Amino acid sequence: MTTVGQLIFSGLLIGSIYALMSMGLTLIFGVLRIVNFAHGEFLMIAMYGAWAMTRYLGLNPYIAVAAVVPAMFLFGGVIYRLIISPGLDKPHLVVVFATMGLAILMQNIALMLFSADLFDVAPLLGGRSFIIGPFYAKAELLIGFAVAVACTIALRFMLQATFLGKAIRATVQDGEAAMLMGIPVPRIFLITFAGGSALVGLAACVMMPLFSVFPTVGLNFVLIAFVIVVLGGMGSVEGALIGGICIGVVQSISSYYVAAAYGQMFFFILFLLVMIFRPAGLLGRRGEATIGIND
Amino acid sequence: MDGVPIAAERPLSRWRLMPERGTLSLFELLLALLCVVLAVLGLSQNVQDVLIQTFLWAGLALAWNVAGGYAGLISFGHASFFGVGAYTSTILLVNYGLTPWIGLWLGGLLAAVVAGALTLICARLRGPFFILSTLAVAEVFRIAALNWASLTGGAEGFAILPTPSVFRMVFVSKTTYATLFLGYLVTVYCITKVLEGSRYGLQLFAVRDDEDAASAAGVNPLLARTGAMCLSAFLTAIGGSLFAQYFLFLDPTHVFSPELSFQFALLPALGGLATAIGPVLGAFVITPLSEMLRSYFGGGAAGLHLAIYGTVLVVVMLYFPGGIAAALAQLAGGHVKGAS
Repeated sequence: MTTVGQLIFSGLLIGSIYALMSMGLTLIFGVLRIVNFAHGEFLMIAMYGAWAMTRYLGLNPYIAVAAVVPAMFLFGGVIYRLIISPGLDKPHLVVVFATMGLAILMQNIALMLFSADLFDVAPLLGGRSFIIGPFYAKAELLIGFAVAVACTIALRFMLQATFLGKAIRATVQDGEAAMLMGIPVPRIFLITFAGGSALVGLAACVMMPLFSVFPTVGLNFVLIAFVIVVLGGMGSVEGALIGGICIGVVQSISSYYVAAAYGQMFFFILFLLVMIFRPAGLLGRRGEATIGIND
Repeated sequence: MDGVPIAAERPLSRWRLMPERGTLSLFELLLALLCVVLAVLGLSQNVQDVLIQTFLWAGLALAWNVAGGYAGLISFGHASFFGVGAYTSTILLVNYGLTPWIGLWLGGLLAAVVAGALTLICARLRGPFFILSTLAVAEVFRIAALNWASLTGGAEGFAILPTPSVFRMVFVSKTTYATLFLGYLVTVYCITKVLEGSRYGLQLFAVRDDEDAASAAGVNPLLARTGAMCLSAFLTAIGGSLFAQYFLFLDPTHVFSPELSFQFALLPALGGLATAIGPVLGAFVITPLSEMLRSYFGGGAAGLHLAIYGTVLVVVMLYFPGGIAAALAQLAGGHVKGAS
């Protein structure tokens, strides 16, 4: 019983970190209606950024947030201007393939700069674990969980209560009407894309003490992020948190009881089952997956 | 609806310079001739190796294009069909002594069945949702192949004994391979050409562009899509079997990899979607180019050729969405029909 409890608890923590990593993706999809296939590579460069700050400036990854997050915000803005915005009025294929090209480009620039070696940072507090009730947890996982939950609440508050959030929601509801009401829709898109990228930067700093970084690390994580985002309902922030936790728990339990290698297979099957029976995801808007998007 | 506008647009002269839907052009004939000459010329081993890979990739890009271009079913999971084809013929050959000349058809059929099931399952999904589902299916196959070691050899891979014999479809001469792979490319090309001029091809275009209007006109969208996906998977799987017979080694992390799936999709996207010549041009430009860059820069700048490839892809998609085929047609003063 305690084993199962511990597995669920660990899954919950790791899942919340996966959720944090997926939030930018779901936010961008929800507003711009595009899937950024370079999302994993955004995570990869942000992880390299956090690693470099730790390695060369002697900071710890959590302090690196102060530099990585604004840098990723700027990077997202530049990418939006250069690649996303010119592709928005074209068939959705264009953005799919253009972001894919961007992903290949970023992966291979990282390969040239950093080689294929794995880099990681020393565990915080000497890798100590904490005891919470009957369970054990690594400090990094607990911090990740706290950040993910805080981030979800902050995002929801931002979308619900601030002027920017209202403008974003208006854009999602009806872009044309929003534009007629004086909302600068292209700027909302820009801010959302840059903000989504900044969220990936935050996730990267939280993940750096837990995972190694290498040029193709993005592919592993982006597949998980896609599953989470679809599971939770594309565009739903709370959905991403719930989806992430589901995936974390499924992965944790199946890798203990079946085999670690099959852990991933279970969540891809879970993903396909969701697609078959509830394509809108847990909290997504009904019919979203079955009507044409952006074309 | 019976193809009236199409008949009205038939060219006056029989041979056109640039490729067009449904008719053969001078350009295509010359390209085919060039390929035959290159294949039988007996060039150096390295050049022939590039040639063989180019033919294979062109065939695979065409196969992907049947679903992705003509039917609008963008799949990032074609590695699963490729892998099913490669493993089926190889397992039948190594474990049961069945000649790949038969095994490759069985692999193709199996892949078509998988593709049919996938399309029926994902039939409701559109856009990114369909793309991500195909990606997930390929991942399930990859992990299964990696862990089902008793069948696939697992992570250690699966080798075919390099004893040359026609029965085992293993040859010493690269010229034989080049001819065989060119045969594959020409066959897939002809199928594509027939498809795009046929009634069924028009139905696919109709379903892709406006499903409601197509079903109002009496086309069954589900049937049309499933058929395209099955055909595409069948042709991809045959390419997979040929791949296995040339490289004589299968590794699940490569054969079922997402990177491979992406490559199947990117070549037609670069060359020109929903045209017959586009995927061929994409493969003919990209495959030799990346091989050349790879050997030229060697290990010193690992990844440079792919970085260039990524940049080209971004630029082409944003500024020449019709791909190489459309750009070439513009140069020649004509126009390629069918590019979306």
